[in-house]
Amino acid sequence: MQVNLFDLATKQSQWLSVRQSAIAGNIANVNTPGFHALEVEPFDKVLDGTRVAIKATQVSHLSGDAGPEPVSIRERADGPAVLPSKNNVVLENELMDAGEVRRAFELNAGIVKAFNRMTMLVSKG
Amino acid sequence: MDALSTALKVAASGLTAQSERLRVVSENLANAQSTGPTPGSDPYQRKTISFAAELDHPNGPAFVEIAAVGRDDTAFPTEYQPGNEAANDAGYVKMPNVNVLIEMADMREANRSYQANLQVIKQARELISMTIDLMRNQS
Amino acid sequence: MIPALGPIGAKLAQGIGEGVGALLGNTAQPAPGGTSFASMIGEAATRTVDNLQQAEQLSAKALQGDGDMRAVVDAVMSAEQSLQAAVAIRDKIVTAYLEISRMAI
Repeated sequence: MQVNLFDLATKQSQWLSVRQSAIAGNIANVNTPGFHALEVEPFDKVLDGTRVAIKATQVSHLSGDAGPEPVSIRERADGPAVLPSKNNVVLENELMDAGEVRRAFELNAGIVKAFNRMTMLVSKG
Repeated sequence: MDALSTALKVAASGLTAQSERLRVVSENLANAQSTGPTPGSDPYQRKTISFAAELDHPNGPAFVEIAAVGRDDTAFPTEYQPGNEAANDAGYVKMPNVNVLIEMADMREANRSYQANLQVIKQARELISMTIDLMRNQS
Repeated sequence: MIPALGPIGAKLAQGIGEGVGALLGNTAQPAPGGTSFASMIGEAATRTVDNLQQAEQLSAKALQGDGDMRAVVDAVMSAEQSLQAAVAIRDKIVTAYLEISRMAI
């Protein structure tokens, strides 16, 4: 089933922003004893959640309450060699994840810009 | 508040925490040789710093804050310096319990964390401007 | 599908095909060993729709996380190029039609 491309892009961009804030939290707490790294649920789970929500709340859909679906943050299950301070944040992994977020965000913005251009091209006189 | 602005604030709290840590380290290093003024008195006591994560709610952003700036209670090493004004009857002076090597390693670690937080701020800022850029008129 | 782009792209292709056929007359004979101008333009219009759909599919895949970046960029660029050409053709055809309709009989 095809969903609107712009909607998909918006959802992914919101998901990426939440992921960025989780990464920021992990990096800020790299030296906090007892801190466990946080991560976000994968994007396809978020998409599935949206479809289920739309099926279940058809009535409220009409009343116009359309807030962004909250992306849930949870603690990272796998910890590498846990330090004596019980902190399991690995700085290199966080920075790599941040790089991924940036790439995905740039691709997202590029796609949105290109399709926006094409739509304007066709719609102009 | 949208997630990218939150990311900026979280990284800023990280910067504050790490620069406070650097301040403590530099105080320790500067006073690594500071003995007491009178014979038998205590020298400079090493300071320690500890962080804590500040979560409003389990799914919320993970700010970091300074939990405490404390003092290190390990025993003072003594050196034989009879000429020193802080020397006791046997000529021994109590030296600060600062290990320069440990402080240098701590400084390097604080630097690394500081740089990582800076990276996050830079990236969050760029992502925000990319988003706003979408509205710019494209020809 | 992007609501505006899909149907408009298809209409564009259809319209261009019909318009060219009407202008050149259905008696256009292909040159020996070549294709007729009308069919060439019709093919260009069809290619546009295909390129558009390809670009949309690849973009949707990339947005969901698994996509080859270079393929996405190529598909989007060729979709834009063929769309630009199709729109130019459409404009020229409309202008030509208006000119012809203004010609004294």
